[in-house]
Amino acid sequence: MRRLSESEYRNSIADIFGADIEVQGRFEPDRRVGGLLSASSAILSITPAGFEAYTRMANAIAGQVVDAKHRARLIACKPADAKAPDEACAGQVIAQYGLMLFRRPLTAEETAVRIKLAHDITVKTNDFHAGLRYGLASLLAAPDFLFRTEYAVPEADGKWTLDGYSRASRLSYLLWDSTPDAQLLKAAANGELARPEGVAQQTDRLMASPRVLNGMRAFYADFLELDTQVVKDPTFYPKYSDAVAASAREETLHSMLDLTMTRKEDLRDLLTTRKTYINRPLAAVYGVPYNFDSEWVPYEFSADSGRSGILTQVTFLSLFSHPNRSSPTKRGVALVDIFLCQPTPNPPADVDFSIVNDISNPSLKTVRQRLLAHATNPTCAACHTRSDPIGLALENFDSIGQYRTAENGDPIDASSSLQGKAFTGAQGLGLALHDNPNFPTCFARKMYAYGTGTNAATVTPPQYRPFVTAFSDSGYRVPALIKAVIANPLFFAAPAPAAAPAKTASR
Amino acid sequence: MTFNRRTLLRGLFQGSAAMVALPLLDCFLDGNGTALADGAPIPTRFGTFFWGCGLTKVLSQPKSTGANYEDMPQLAALKPYKAKFNLLSGYRAYVDSKPNIQHWSGNGAIVTGAAPSQDGQFEGQTIDQTIADVIAKGTRFRSIEIACSGNKRESYSSLGGANTNPPETSPAGLYTRLFGPGFNAGGSDWKPDPEVMLQQSVLSVVAEDRQRLMANVGAADKARLEQYFTSVRELENTMAVELKKPEIVASVTIPGMPENMTVNKSVPVLLKTVPVFSRLLAIGLATNQTRIFNMALTEPANTMFMPGDSHVFHQATHEEPVDEALGYQPNTSKFSTHSMECFAELVAALDGIQEGNGTLLDHCLMLAYTDTSNAKLHAIDGIPMFLVGSAGGRIKTGMHIAGNSETTSRVGLTVQQAMGLTVDHWGVASNQTNKPISEIQA
Repeated sequence: MRRLSESEYRNSIADIFGADIEVQGRFEPDRRVGGLLSASSAILSITPAGFEAYTRMANAIAGQVVDAKHRARLIACKPADAKAPDEACAGQVIAQYGLMLFRRPLTAEETAVRIKLAHDITVKTNDFHAGLRYGLASLLAAPDFLFRTEYAVPEADGKWTLDGYSRASRLSYLLWDSTPDAQLLKAAANGELARPEGVAQQTDRLMASPRVLNGMRAFYADFLELDTQVVKDPTFYPKYSDAVAASAREETLHSMLDLTMTRKEDLRDLLTTRKTYINRPLAAVYGVPYNFDSEWVPYEFSADSGRSGILTQVTFLSLFSHPNRSSPTKRGVALVDIFLCQPTPNPPADVDFSIVNDISNPSLKTVRQRLLAHATNPTCAACHTRSDPIGLALENFDSIGQYRTAENGDPIDASSSLQGKAFTGAQGLGLALHDNPNFPTCFARKMYAYGTGTNAATVTPPQYRPFVTAFSDSGYRVPALIKAVIANPLFFAAPAPAAAPAKTASR
Repeated sequence: MTFNRRTLLRGLFQGSAAMVALPLLDCFLDGNGTALADGAPIPTRFGTFFWGCGLTKVLSQPKSTGANYEDMPQLAALKPYKAKFNLLSGYRAYVDSKPNIQHWSGNGAIVTGAAPSQDGQFEGQTIDQTIADVIAKGTRFRSIEIACSGNKRESYSSLGGANTNPPETSPAGLYTRLFGPGFNAGGSDWKPDPEVMLQQSVLSVVAEDRQRLMANVGAADKARLEQYFTSVRELENTMAVELKKPEIVASVTIPGMPENMTVNKSVPVLLKTVPVFSRLLAIGLATNQTRIFNMALTEPANTMFMPGDSHVFHQATHEEPVDEALGYQPNTSKFSTHSMECFAELVAALDGIQEGNGTLLDHCLMLAYTDTSNAKLHAIDGIPMFLVGSAGGRIKTGMHIAGNSETTSRVGLTVQQAMGLTVDHWGVASNQTNKPISEIQA
């Protein structure tokens, strides 16, 4: 059972009722588990304040669906009398939207209580559409819509697997970040999705649509932790603004989608490429001229720019810094966690970090010098020797990602090493990570965890080996990985229910 | 001073014209001014105020205990209210065999009575929700949460586990929640809103799904569905309240919608936004929209910052050397002082509303707490706390109480008893106690 994320909710409503239906309201916060927000969808519930907001949204959405502006397009039947109940018409609309919202056909009972609700309200208000509105609102506020409830069915060998409708939802939310479309629901209904060929056929169809970019956009934003709140101190960074932050996020997602999905290049090149997309606010931060009329343009940094793929984009450099200065430790910790799936344990409880701060010491002018002095403490060294060198390779970039060559008058030394390999600067780091097999493995594990709503840390080698191998065989093409993840028999596996009735909800 | 603050505040709300004026007339009160003339007592409210990274001991912890303790520089902003709160020092959160989860174990133990096992998760429901179970009936909202920094993840009120009650993240959002659709001031032309009745019937349809769904799920999902259906019941309660003629008798004026404000963790920004959040909250309490509130100034690993200073609060606690002559970290301590200035704004707002023969603050009990005593060391012994307000006369105030390393649960137990809960012990393992702080029980 997984709670819909904000984007899944918004996209589902847009797909079911049209993009012009406004969704205004507050969504419950999610939490990062094993590096992904999506994993928390399987453990979080709905609080009183959250339900209040969902109910308000449900009423507002249902109100728009039946209003004069949308009625003709969205309500497929006309009541015999607009002021009186019409159970046939109400039942038709409730069954139609019930299937889409619950991602499975409604039971007879679920339909009947809603027809009755619509009937009673129509009688009270003398308005068929008012009755229908509340019937629809009761679908939108129901747990079956707000949670993706997955159902398991027994397989021949005594194992359990997801039923067709639950499979349709997994495919659709992974590939489109939205609710299953009519064809996918049909494939669930006629048993196609119970067979690997049927799954592969639908996967190909969904991936042929440009909407797969929405699906991967949502995954990439989760993978790169782009939801992290960023505030910069305007005293130090007057150029930084909400517009820069939003542009930077778009730059990262657009360039990542372009490389992996549109040009279908090697995922690892993300860490080394100098190609990107910029707009005017970003050009100012990057210190490059912007002589273009269009809002966004493709741009290639020069070889001597020091830039190296998403590692040196404004997003990554600013997300993992302090409001007022760079932080090699934060950057190093984020890099190994995000790209290599190696989370860093909490520092020990009783540590004196004073030396890192003491800028009055004449021999410790740069962050590097102060950090290294601190890391000689053996308790600290265990983690810092792992994270700091990686982060220090990015020291040529300040807290918002501007290039620099000196700090407090001393030149910056961006030499570094990763697992015994020495290199210098962001480009050296990019190459080292590019060639580190943990990066594609980590990426693949997280995609699987994202699709199944599990904690990536619990995805074991026997589980991920088949699709990691396929990924590597393809030359690290993301579309090939997606197909391999879905084709993995475990992707739709379900735990056996405790006491096994014929049909059982799982997870 | 109060006058100036209010005058300043008024300027932050769009227009100074009142939407609804709700005069408290003396004739509504009994002779003592402690109850309404119809016998209904003025309700007692409970709230929490949380800030991260603690206080500077040498600047905040008095040497003497009891009443008339010496003034401490870090608490200067609270001095006008010294007679209305107790300062608690020296209580300890015990973790027993669990790890000291940095910036989480201390605050988690204070509000649940149990040391957390996992970062970001609570062992059970937080104390405000336990109290809400008993006193929230009859108000529109079970509780109101506010994240002063605008981060929707900064709420430390929970029904247990990883879920937290989502906070309001802007003054405009808080205003809309309290005084937007659904708010009703009563009056002679009051009629129940038929829309609410229709929505009630929607909820009863949703609630009917409960049995069918519950029959088929595993234990973890069952608990999540229980939370969902609890939320449905809470909203049913809210709607039932909205359908009753409100008996609001408070000497407050509902202001207009506040203007859009920048919300973040810069100290000057917080000093501007906290008074607005506080004033709106106080009016919401006075008009009985809720009896439970939780305001979080920041997250536990406090990233409050001062423009132009290259360290955020949390980073400063770890990186700034202790000035040997002073005996503390001078820059770090300023952030704690600013946290107390923000806290004083909330106290001032509650004390600024007359209620009966006292103020709203007198009819509140507020627990102000933090995550560590010495943030530099992530220490969870001696975490400073405050109990503010006299809970309608059930708590004696104006004292400094030293906890002598006894469990922080003594504070939680005292709070629950003052709020009228029938409870004689509280907490888990070494945090269990049956000893309330009797010195302050009235």
